[in-house]
Formats: sequence, structure tokens, C-alpha cells
Amino acid sequence: MSGLSALIRPRWQSFKKEGLGVHQTAKKIILLLVGFVFWAGIFGVSFRVLTYFQQIEELGDILARKLLLMVLVTFLGLMIFSAILTALSKLYLSKDLNLVHSLPISSQKVFTARWIESTVDSSWMVIIYTLPVLISYGVVYETGPLFYLEILLSLVPLSIIGSAVSAILVLAAVVILPASRVRSIFFFLGLTALVIIYITFRILKPERLADPEAFISVLAYLQTMDAPSSPWLPSTWTFDSLTAALRGDVRNVLFHSALCWSGAAFSSFMAIGFAQHVYFKGFSKTQTAPGRLVSSSGKTFPLPRRFFSGPMRAFITKEIKTFWRDQSQWSQIFLMAALIVIYLYNFSVLPLEKAPIDTIFLQNLFSFLNMALASFVIIAITARFAYPSVSTEGGAFWIVLASPISIKAFLWIKFFIYLFPLLILSELLIVATNLLLHVSPFMMALSTITFLFLIPGVVALGVGLGAAYPNFASENPTQIVTSFGGLVFMMISVAYIGVVIVLLAGPVHHYLMANLRGIPLPFSLKIWFFVTFFAALALNLTAIFVPLRFGARRLSDRY
Amino acid sequence: MIKLKNLTKRYDRITAVDRLTLSISKGELFGFIGPNGAGKTTTIRMIGGLLAPSEGAVFIDGVDMAREPEKAKKRIGLIPDRPFLYEKLTGMEFMCFIAEFYDVDRRHLEENADRLLTMFGLENRAHELIESYSHGMKQRLIMSSALLHEPPIIVVDEPMVGLDPRGIKMVRDLFRDMARSGTTIFVSTHTLKLAESICDRIGIINGGKLIAVGTMEQLKKAARVGEADLEEAFLQLTQTEASE
Repeated sequence: MSGLSALIRPRWQSFKKEGLGVHQTAKKIILLLVGFVFWAGIFGVSFRVLTYFQQIEELGDILARKLLLMVLVTFLGLMIFSAILTALSKLYLSKDLNLVHSLPISSQKVFTARWIESTVDSSWMVIIYTLPVLISYGVVYETGPLFYLEILLSLVPLSIIGSAVSAILVLAAVVILPASRVRSIFFFLGLTALVIIYITFRILKPERLADPEAFISVLAYLQTMDAPSSPWLPSTWTFDSLTAALRGDVRNVLFHSALCWSGAAFSSFMAIGFAQHVYFKGFSKTQTAPGRLVSSSGKTFPLPRRFFSGPMRAFITKEIKTFWRDQSQWSQIFLMAALIVIYLYNFSVLPLEKAPIDTIFLQNLFSFLNMALASFVIIAITARFAYPSVSTEGGAFWIVLASPISIKAFLWIKFFIYLFPLLILSELLIVATNLLLHVSPFMMALSTITFLFLIPGVVALGVGLGAAYPNFASENPTQIVTSFGGLVFMMISVAYIGVVIVLLAGPVHHYLMANLRGIPLPFSLKIWFFVTFFAALALNLTAIFVPLRFGARRLSDRY
Repeated sequence: MIKLKNLTKRYDRITAVDRLTLSISKGELFGFIGPNGAGKTTTIRMIGGLLAPSEGAVFIDGVDMAREPEKAKKRIGLIPDRPFLYEKLTGMEFMCFIAEFYDVDRRHLEENADRLLTMFGLENRAHELIESYSHGMKQRLIMSSALLHEPPIIVVDEPMVGLDPRGIKMVRDLFRDMARSGTTIFVSTHTLKLAESICDRIGIINGGKLIAVGTMEQLKKAARVGEADLEEAFLQLTQTEASE
């Protein structure tokens, strides 16, 4: 046990020392506030849904039970998915593993220490954001303290089971495949499952619930499905213990809790036992460089010298080659593609013709809203690719510092590298959604021109703030985005888009109304259009120049 | 060629480099030695333009690094101690990448890249990804890329780390030949034997301060160690400084 606690201690000590400075405290307070808003939002929605269910006679409880079961199955699924990625990093890819394995300690103990860390890391957030849903059950059903105690007593073993299952899957997979590739494969599989679930859900058309006739048949269908779920699923044991606690049935609570905890103990025992035989074998295999899925072609990009400076050509070539050769980027592209497919699909199924409002007005209204929504999609993509672009230089950033270009020039190069693909993507997205909405030529022109000016600002914010808050030590771009700087980027980008959209909303609304009523455009509206256009243009230019300058200054100050 | 004027670097309350003044002339091979944490790497990083000094200035071939960093950096080939590179590029692609920054033309690049990669024993691995290279191979690649644009000044931090005996001998001979043909070389090292065997002058830094500078003979004289080697002189000088 002494070896085990010694292995866990550095992590605990680092945790205690994290964020001792004033700046760190301020960052934490902001993150906590944002986190709490989300938490409260989940609680509010859950509370509303459960209160609504309670108003439906007979079926309300069934629906609430179904929802609880779905929440717990999702919890287990998320837990397994998250723990697979964490366990892979902790057990096979962390930089300190060579040091840890060189210590006079058994690989089984190393596994156990790392698995405990992985369980805590992958479960805490899932638990925290499941709590508001479960607490809302307690509030709506007016239960006693037993239920709230049982929430913790049942979620912890469920997390342990999920993490143990993930560890067993990872241990088995790494014996067959190199760890770096296993991560990509699991990510692909997880995302594919998510997209399939979403599309299946969409095909079921839950909006039919809004139709009173269809609602009755759907409820009747749900009622027939109220059969007990598989007794082999750990989420069912948690479900049974929680529903027993909701009823105040102490005997059943004890029985099902015992089932949960014995399941957790058994799965932990299995994972540790399995690790004893295969963990070191897999770790050893990870040390050898994996064969690559894509060979290095050595082809160069014929970028004309007249249009591109030497450093620009060098960075464009480097970024493109590095991007395609890094398998971890593929899963991200897949994730973004899934996001876009879902986004476009939602537009294609909008029942505009059934709406009680004038279709042309509604189409234009949706097109306007679509500008904001599509911008959020682009923010997400910028956050994932442009924001970490400075940090992903990593230890090799010395090459940039030592090369004869200024940091300002380096950031402008990064800006242009990411601007063109993101601009093309965003224009395609807005044109495609506008075509699906059958909008007027005016709205088509307005949205494409707005994006032409808006996207450079978003990309500059991404590159500039990414440079202002770099994390050269991180190997994972996703981790870079979820930092304080990433949050600042998201917040400023959303505010920036919000202001531009609000600026445009007034004149566009009056223009549409005038068109709808068939009256000519008043002179004052034309003036308003010009003022709005120049105000938006000034804002866009500010959004381009200020963040890049800020990023260059902050980055230079570090050295 | 390299002039350091009152060069100072402070990190909060710690002064890593303290008013360092030094001048290195054309074709000189200058050795920079000192105990761990003495300020060697910080000095190298300031000379290479990787770090801005808190006070003082760095002049490269008469160009102020703070005022015209791009112009100054074009005259330097920097070789850091830790070979962080773009792992997803091949060795040859990395050479092409570096060439773009120094206006190396196509013909010159093709000739020099092949010659340098062969010289550093990387010709058979030039089209493999850097991530598959060993530490020593990465170090050799950095050296190749630093020499690609034929800079008049080479700044090296711990050149022998990760190199095999053949590599060490090759680098030692190369530095000597380059200095003879007019290249200025500033080399920071822990390997006192290397400094003793190839350097024209040696500077000793301790606690951020330059405590001694001169030829081997001058250092021995300053340390009062008679005919002993550099190691003895180094220990004597750094010990005296510590006790003061």
C-alpha cells in the first residue's frame, strides 16, 4: 500500500498547489460561475420536465422512471467513453510513465494508482452534472434525506464499474493495437454511436409529441415499453436502488446498493487482476513507434513565390502536413463533420409550411437566426483548430522564436492559414442552410456578406487569444481549448457575434416589414442601413486587429 | 561578431544573468562553461533572440537584437540543448521549412541539405518522420538545419548531448574547421574536455556573473593552478566565487 500511496501522492500535492496565485483564483471563480450556471440550467430543465410529467395522470410516473433509466444508461455510457480516453492517456501515453515504471514497484501497483486517478478524473464531471437531474427527482417527489444519500452511494459504484470496464477494454485493446491508435479508434466508434443515436432519435420525430393525437399513441407505446431493463446492466441496479429510495423502501435500497457495491468491487478486482497479466506487456508495446496509417509522401505544395513570402510558404506547408499526419486530428474532423451534418439535417426537417405565420417572413426570420447559429458552429470549429494553433507548436516554438520573423508576423501567418478554410466552410454552411430554407435573394446576400466580414474577426480572436494564453506543454488540443483562455475566446466571440447580429436586426426587420407590406423603403431606413454597415465594419476590423496585437504582445512578454 | 553589453535577466527576485559584458570576434571559438543553474542557457537564449533581456543589449555582427531582431537572427544558426522539432515532418521537409526563413534558394537548398544530412549521417532517414528519430538523430538534424543557410555565427547549447563518440568527434572537427574559415562559434558546454580542446577563449559563469574569461593559460593563471587542466581551474574559480 505504501507504494500505491506514494504513486498517487504527487497528483494530490499538485492538486493542492494548483491556483494559489491571485490570477488563478480569479480564473477559478469565473470558471466556477459558468459551471454553476450550467448546473442550475440542468436542474431547472429537469425540474420543469418532471413537474410536467407529474401533471399527466397514470403515465407521468412511467415517463419519469423511463427518463431516470435513460439518464443512468447515458451516465454509464459517458463514463465508459470518458474513462477509455482518460485510461489510455494515464496508463500508456503520459510522459512520466518511463520514470514511474523505472521505480522498484510492481506494474500492478502502477496500474492501480493510475486507474484510481483515471476513475476520479473521468467521473467527477459526469457525477456533478448528473446530480441536478437526480436532485430534481428528490425535490419533485418530495423525498427524505435517504434519497439524497443514496444518490452518492449509487453513483460512486456506477462510476467505478464504468471505469473498470473501460480499463479492461483498454488493457485488451492495447495488447493488439498501439495505444495512440486505440485512442483514435475508440473516439471514432464513440462518435459514430453518438451520431447514429441522434439520427435515430430524429427519425423518431419527437416533435410529434406536440401533436395531441400523436402524443396519445406515443404515450401508449411508451407504456408498453415499461418492462424492466436488463438485470445485468449496472445502471439497472442503480436505477432500482434510486427508485427504492424515492419510495422510501429501505430494505430494497440496502439490497440494490449492496448489489452496486459488490459489482464495483468485483469489476475492480477483475481489472486489477487482468492488469497483472497484460498491463506491462501493453506498455512495453507502446514504447515502439507505431506504423503510420498515412505514409509521408514528401510532396511539396507549389505555392507561388510572388504571392507567398518564405515564412508563409513554410508555415502553410508545415501546418497542412502536420495536420493530415496527426491521427488525433481526424477524430476531431469527424466530430466537426458530425456537428455540421446534424445542423444541416435539422434545417432540412423544419416544417415551415405548417407554420401559422407567413412562410416568407418565417423563412427570412430563420435565415437571420441561422446567421447566429452558424456562427456558433464556426466558433466551435475555430476553438478546436485556430485557438490551439499557437500552443500546438509545443516545445518546437523555439524554432519560431529563433527564426527571423517577428511574433506579430507569425500570428498573421497563422491567421491567414486558418482564415481561408474557415471562411469557405462558413460560406458553404450559410449558403446550404439558406437554400434549405428557400430564403429571399436579399437574405442570401446579407448573410453571405455578413459572414465574409464576421469570420475574419472570429479567426483573429481565436489565433490572438490562443497566443495570449498559450499552453505549450499540453499535447492535447481539446485540453487547450478547455482552459481559461478558451473560455475567454468563447465568451468574447459570442458577444462579438451577438453585437453584430443585434446591429443588423433593426434595419433588416424594417426592410422585411416594408417588403411584406409592399411599401417603398423610407430614406431614414437607407441611412440606418449605411450607419449599421459602417458600425459593423468598424467592429469587425477591431475584432481582427486588437486580438492579434494583444496576442503578439502577451506572447512577446513571456520571453 | 557577438557583443554582450551589461546583459541581465531577472525572473521575479532571481537574477539569472547579471550584467554580463563580453565581446567575441570573427572566427573565434568561444567556450562558455559554468555549474548547473549558472545562467548559461539563459545567456544563449538571449543571444539567439529567444528571450528578451531585462537590461543590457545583444549585438550580432553590429545589429542590435532588440531593435532589429529579424536582421540579427538571419546571421545566427542556433542549436539548442533540447531537440524539440515538428515531429510530423520528415527530416528533409524540416530542412525545406527552415530554408524558407533564410531565403535559401532552391539550388542551394538541394545541394546543401543533401550534403549536410549526409555529413550528419541522416541521409538514409531523411524521408522518415522526425517522430521516429532517436534523441541523437534529432540533435544532428537541428545541427544540419542550423548550418543550412551558412550563418556567420553559430550559437550552440550543449552540442554533445545525445551524440555518439563518432558524432562527438565529427562535431568537434567541424567546429574547428568552421572557426578556421571565419565562422564565429559560441558554445556552451559542461564537457570541459571539449572546451579545453577546441576553444580559443573560455568564459566561466557562476551565479549569473561572468567570473573569468580568457585563454586556457589565462584561466589557469587566474585560478593559480599551475599546469593543471581546465577542470581544476574551473573548480578552483567556481569554489572561490562561491566562498566569497
